[in-house]
Amino acid sequence: MAGVSRVRRQLPTSPWLFAAPGLLVVGAFVLYPFVSTVVNSFTDRRTLLPGRFVGLANFRELIHDDMFWTGLRNSTLYIVGVVPALVVLPLLLALLVQKNIPGITFFRSAFYTPVVASIVVVGLIWVWLLDERGLVNSLLETVGIGRIGFLSDQWLLLLSAMAVTVWKGLGYYMIIYLAALANVPRELHEAAAVDGAGAVRRFLTVTVPAVRSTMVLVAALSSVAAFKVFSEVYLMAGPDGGPAGEDTTLVMLVQQTGTGLTGRVGYASALSVVVFVVTVALMLLVLRADRGERA
Amino acid sequence: MTVTEERTGTAPTAREARVTDEHGRRVRIGELAWRYALLLLVLALTVGPFLWQLSTSLKGPTEDIFGSPPSFLPEHPTLHNYERVADTIPVWDYALNSLKVAGASVVTNCVGSALAGYALARLRYRGRRVATLVFILAMLVPVEGIIIAQFTTMRELGLNNTLIGVVLPGSIGAMNVLLMRNAFLNLPYEIEEAAYVDGANAWQRFLRIALPSVRGTVAVVAIFAFMGAWDDFLWPLIVLSDPSRFTLTIGLNYLHGTFANDERLVAAGTVIAVAPLIALFACLQRYFFRGVGEGAVKG
Amino acid sequence: MPVPRRALVLATAALLALPLSACGSGEDGGGSSDASGKVQGDITFQTWNLRANFKSYFEGVIADFEKKYPDTHVKWIDQPAEGYADKISADAAGGTLPDVVNVSPDLVAPLAKAGLALDLDKAAAKYKPEYLDGAWASHEIPGMSGTYAFPWYLNTGPLFYNKTLFKQAGLDPDRPPTTYDDLFTDALKMAGQSGGKVATLANVPTIEDFGRYGAELMDKQGTGFAFNDAKGVELLTKYKELFDAKALDPQALTATPESTGKKFLTGAVAMNPGSALDLDNFKKQAPNLYKNIGITDQITSTGHVNMYVMGVMVNTRTKHTPAAVAFAHFVTDAQNQMSFAKKVAIFPSTAGSLDDPYFTKEDGTDETRVRIAAAKSLKNAVNYTPVLFSDQMKTALRNEVAKALQGKESPKAALDNAVKACDRLLQQEG
Repeated sequence: MAGVSRVRRQLPTSPWLFAAPGLLVVGAFVLYPFVSTVVNSFTDRRTLLPGRFVGLANFRELIHDDMFWTGLRNSTLYIVGVVPALVVLPLLLALLVQKNIPGITFFRSAFYTPVVASIVVVGLIWVWLLDERGLVNSLLETVGIGRIGFLSDQWLLLLSAMAVTVWKGLGYYMIIYLAALANVPRELHEAAAVDGAGAVRRFLTVTVPAVRSTMVLVAALSSVAAFKVFSEVYLMAGPDGGPAGEDTTLVMLVQQTGTGLTGRVGYASALSVVVFVVTVALMLLVLRADRGERA
Repeated sequence: MTVTEERTGTAPTAREARVTDEHGRRVRIGELAWRYALLLLVLALTVGPFLWQLSTSLKGPTEDIFGSPPSFLPEHPTLHNYERVADTIPVWDYALNSLKVAGASVVTNCVGSALAGYALARLRYRGRRVATLVFILAMLVPVEGIIIAQFTTMRELGLNNTLIGVVLPGSIGAMNVLLMRNAFLNLPYEIEEAAYVDGANAWQRFLRIALPSVRGTVAVVAIFAFMGAWDDFLWPLIVLSDPSRFTLTIGLNYLHGTFANDERLVAAGTVIAVAPLIALFACLQRYFFRGVGEGAVKG
Repeated sequence: MPVPRRALVLATAALLALPLSACGSGEDGGGSSDASGKVQGDITFQTWNLRANFKSYFEGVIADFEKKYPDTHVKWIDQPAEGYADKISADAAGGTLPDVVNVSPDLVAPLAKAGLALDLDKAAAKYKPEYLDGAWASHEIPGMSGTYAFPWYLNTGPLFYNKTLFKQAGLDPDRPPTTYDDLFTDALKMAGQSGGKVATLANVPTIEDFGRYGAELMDKQGTGFAFNDAKGVELLTKYKELFDAKALDPQALTATPESTGKKFLTGAVAMNPGSALDLDNFKKQAPNLYKNIGITDQITSTGHVNMYVMGVMVNTRTKHTPAAVAFAHFVTDAQNQMSFAKKVAIFPSTAGSLDDPYFTKEDGTDETRVRIAAAKSLKNAVNYTPVLFSDQMKTALRNEVAKALQGKESPKAALDNAVKACDRLLQQEG
């Protein structure tokens, strides 16, 4: 590293010059608004009326707010429902597209298209597919199962939204696994094959250990995203979060309480702070678990 | 990064007469059959919904779109629904605005995150850990909670109701900076060491050596930036008030709000919104998968 | 070290200090509330999702105005339906609200409280006689004096019903329900006859329904809600009965206006409230249904049907108050409202307009029949939704109603909770 440190003497300001644009943008448009959100969480500010300092009143109110617990439950359920699927399915998919057989480039790209499409478009497409008279129900009826109210039952709605999240995330995480698999030495597989291990055994004893750290990364990324879920549930269950608001997630609650002309910016800010804290804690937890296991 | 390229092997090997895998070994016919079967099944699941949308958008007003069993192909394909979209909203103007915003976002993100990523990965100075932490924290902030504060900032800068105001908050994404940082970290030090011995300064090493080695990651950032800007809805809606500056997603929402009962029209709108992205991705996918091979998206 | 620590500390301090200064909109800046000066200057006019269908109409109105007052220039902007409240609140908080804004009464209330809506009783009292009394009063705000927007178009509508479904259920297709009791009896019979396949209603009761049923919505001073009275509980209990019998559509808890419209079109629901606008839609989308559509009056226990009111408010911060007031009045004057009403099935709020032959003379078509009936009922219609009923309160009520329908709470407990939640929100918004 000696060489690099000599550079510092040569061009003393350049490291900060390199980082300046990024720091400026992130500071001005992400961190500064976030700091102001934290400040607001201790006030009773509303959209059009300046707030007074109220100490921890917003946080105390949170604890007694049924909707907060509903939101926390749904956001947590979302992690439980989505993360295992997003850790396992994209890995299997990556194994499927790893082998260079003719046309595989096309398949790889095609599997990535749901990632490319905007969530608004995806929402419109799936609401139309899962509509009572949409394609999925038409097929179910043709098969003789009959129509299912995917978009009206509290739990089916949440499940449908999870399915869409998984559907849209498959390609993204598949790519991450593909990169990791490229670094798994072929010899490991061959050795296992010589030992007479079947495909499933090889998957469990060779592939999984080799991509373990990537699986942890996927778990961390997808659980943070799952906890902050907004668009899928908003688009499918509606702005009110399904029947009796039972499908409301925490971030939806932030949006519901904090926006509009009568928005309670202070209270919504307190909710945002809770979301942020839980997110950071989740991240740390996953990383800690990984480190602990490895040690 | 040629090694990696060979490993992920995006180049098709179909030219050869027999089917081989990435190591030149022959693939058995039986295995091939079930692989293709599975691939086609997943294809139906991932691309099918888009095709159904396309099919709906091409169906004429007399065709039943609710029928059971469903009819997958339009009987009398028509572009009428697309004409109606264009009559309802100035869809080409909006697409142009979206293109401007997305194009600008691609440029700023590629340049800004490459610079910052290089600073985080390769340059030594006090405060580097803090700078890295700043980007990590920024990635964790829930955007929905800070949008009004962002708007207030934008107004103080006098940039509300401009396309610049739309671009700015996402112009250098924290996620992209971290992606670039990882890519630079994965480069062997020795490459730059040589240049350093030749007397190249930080800027020269960055431009001539480091940057060309991570082209793939730049492609990944470019695609992410384009997607993010093209797909965003709430922020452009809040920051823009002049309809002549609206972007395509806002226009799409217009359609949905005004013609919610008309599935064909909404379908046509979604196709218009999604087609350019798919086309762009199809063009860039080679670079994209190479970038992935560089380990950009790995932790 | 090239970057001094001091700079970082300063930057952090600035970051921490700024948010407080950015709070609220305060009373700074802005124009006068005096509308008597010369009508001149550039103003901006914002509408709510009207461009797609009425572009030429608005361009015509603006051209006429600019011809009448050559020193003015009006810039027209239109916003999508979704996110309109978010858009207005961002603009209001950021000080970029347009000069003349299309609003509904519930949007005006917070803007007026923040001092952003011009009091027209002071600035434009001379125009008051031009409008229907009820319409003018719809932009008054409990707890404040004054009127904060010009009334614009009104809307109300009949109840559509599917005659075929009525016949199949053994009901007389020519005698649709006219009272709530009839409605509930018919609905239960319809559900029973069809084995739960055909519901009669598709929407859960909203605040407006409670009002129409005769519940007291707010106390007289406008300081608290009261829809948990005997009438309110009675209505919700009835709805619960309907829901259990599938006479209220099982998907009503997640219904949107679009989805209920679709259900009516496909014959899954037998009755649907609507407006004259819908007739055209039925004709195009479901010609078979159209032949069998019956039209009847809104059901009400109070003798007053419900109406929706749109308004046009003037921003107190406008730099050209005379021009902004003049334009807001111009858009909503009798002549322009009348020509707008002839383009689309809405109704003018100007005095005397509803006596125009267009709203009184039958010509044999269904459209005209619906229009005449609606115009007649509008003369004593009421906008039941309280001006102070915010989005957050609507959500609270809807959630409690859903809990009652699902049987998680008794109707009484649900309404008590809703009133409690709404009262708390009201105080916080104070």
